[in-house]
Amino acid sequence: MDDSRAARLVQGVLRCYPVRWRRRHGDEAAELAALLIRDGTPAGSIVLSYLAGAARAWLTPRPGRRLSTVACALLAMACSVGLSAGLLASAGPARAASTSSARAPAPPAQCRTSAAGPVPAVIAATDHAQMIIWAAGHGRAC
Amino acid sequence: MTVGRRDGRAGQDVLRRVGEASVLILISLAGGPKHGYALIQDIKELADVELGPGTLYGALDRLERLGLIEPLPAEDRRHPYRITVPGAAALRVHLDEVERVSAAGRLRLQLGGI
Repeated sequence: MDDSRAARLVQGVLRCYPVRWRRRHGDEAAELAALLIRDGTPAGSIVLSYLAGAARAWLTPRPGRRLSTVACALLAMACSVGLSAGLLASAGPARAASTSSARAPAPPAQCRTSAAGPVPAVIAATDHAQMIIWAAGHGRAC
Repeated sequence: MTVGRRDGRAGQDVLRRVGEASVLILISLAGGPKHGYALIQDIKELADVELGPGTLYGALDRLERLGLIEPLPAEDRRHPYRITVPGAAALRVHLDEVERVSAAGRLRLQLGGI
């Protein structure tokens, strides 16, 4: 393996490390690899060593990482719930209409208002979806 | 970090579980501050052990988190490290422990006539 190819390979492996690690050690690590390759250390063993090191760097618990992970997970959950709510609010009534038409003939291409309660398909949905549909459409399926 | 005083036990060997690479790095740094490449070269001469660069940086991060070494201002792209006072104390305790076990092992070999 020529030096430039080995250097590219090492650079690629160094990208596997967390950003924080790369900011701190990245340049030095690349230079160290170049020096070791120049001294005759096989590039493959350097790459393997950095790969194992990258795995360790990700797996090592750090203060703050757990909190940020939880924060990210909560944010993702919040986005997911929001997105689901949006989709259900927009697609739920249409689905309800199509499902109810499969179960029983319904007036086609018409908006109808449920007088006393939700439409049957909405009842079959989860409580959560029901709540969203009720909130969004006030029991109206279109 | 005060070695052996954090949990009230004097002389506790905090290096027992950090691994051979970390101990070798501390031994190397006991001879003066060094950066990554110099550490690898020194440890190769000292113990005939070739530390991989990934292992080296992992051990340096661990030792720094434990307060046993500290980074010095960067020279170009290289970051030298030096052993701290608690690091030196921890190394002394560990080497004493290794020596004690080693002596016990030698004695048993002698007594066993092997």
